[in-house]
Amino acid sequence: MSDVGWGLWGSWEQTEACLNTVVGEWCGPDPVERGSIRRWLEPKEFDCAIHTDADAARAAGFSDLVAPASMVLTYGVAAYWSPGDPSKAIDDEPTQIQIPVIFNVPAPCNKSFATSMEVEFFAPLYPGDVVGCTSRLTDIQYKTLKVGAGAFLRQEDTYTKQTGEIVAVACLDIFRFYVEPGVVQ
Amino acid sequence: MMGKLTPSASVGDVLPAIQIPLTLQRLVMEAGANRDFSLMHHDGAVAQSAGASAAFANTFFLMGMFERLVRSWAGPHIRFRKMGPLKMLNFNVVGDTLTFRGEVVAIEEAEKGALWLLNLWCESERGQTTTCVVEVIKE
Repeated sequence: MSDVGWGLWGSWEQTEACLNTVVGEWCGPDPVERGSIRRWLEPKEFDCAIHTDADAARAAGFSDLVAPASMVLTYGVAAYWSPGDPSKAIDDEPTQIQIPVIFNVPAPCNKSFATSMEVEFFAPLYPGDVVGCTSRLTDIQYKTLKVGAGAFLRQEDTYTKQTGEIVAVACLDIFRFYVEPGVVQ
Repeated sequence: MMGKLTPSASVGDVLPAIQIPLTLQRLVMEAGANRDFSLMHHDGAVAQSAGASAAFANTFFLMGMFERLVRSWAGPHIRFRKMGPLKMLNFNVVGDTLTFRGEVVAIEEAEKGALWLLNLWCESERGQTTTCVVEVIKE
């Protein structure tokens, strides 16, 4: 698996053609609910009653049990498979998280990682809320790092509730680069 | 955690540190919970091909740990206004014990109370790996 590559292949001209356009739009498949919040808190050993107890959340001024603020990113992740989608074959490229500036924007790159992120929050998430996400490519900065030559691509994600209310706006910087197949860094 | 409340803050206040060992099991639990199944976050060989020494933590986990750090210190009565820039200076890999720290760097008036500006960071045995600026509103 060490040679696995990912990302939509293309030229830098094709990358630049995507600048300031919508490059991804989808709806998170699962509404906010207690079970997914508990599983999100678990690996972080995060103990806070406003995320598990509606009465504690109301006492703190929320209208119901509230999801952690940064969990909006999780509720905005698209489904990896939905009814009607084809089955995955053993030698298919693994499905990864939908990051449009990697998987929808062409670039002459086969590797990538996130380097920076910021999120501004506008509204809390409560049980029953469903989160949609619209992504735009807002910046391209060419750079050579020790892992290889490539570019920083900035993705702006707007997360909205089913009501249209904006929950959060996130900016994610992804470094996409090229590594010759077989080369281990 | 809910017993801990910080009703007010001053510039220079230091947040109580949080330590957490990064095991492969924790990363797998995290991937299942946060829905980021990118291979480098649970497959060591793929992580090595991207320049890391082993599978490494993703931004969702780091942001969530910074949220825990602030919530544990400030209690339930604050609201997160902004998290970031969160900058990854080095990989946080399986086998690391991570320590999350922070301090209050500014307090300003806000429309609904006070805005607390916090500088947070994460350290491993190799030094500082991640930094994050956080803005919270204390009503």
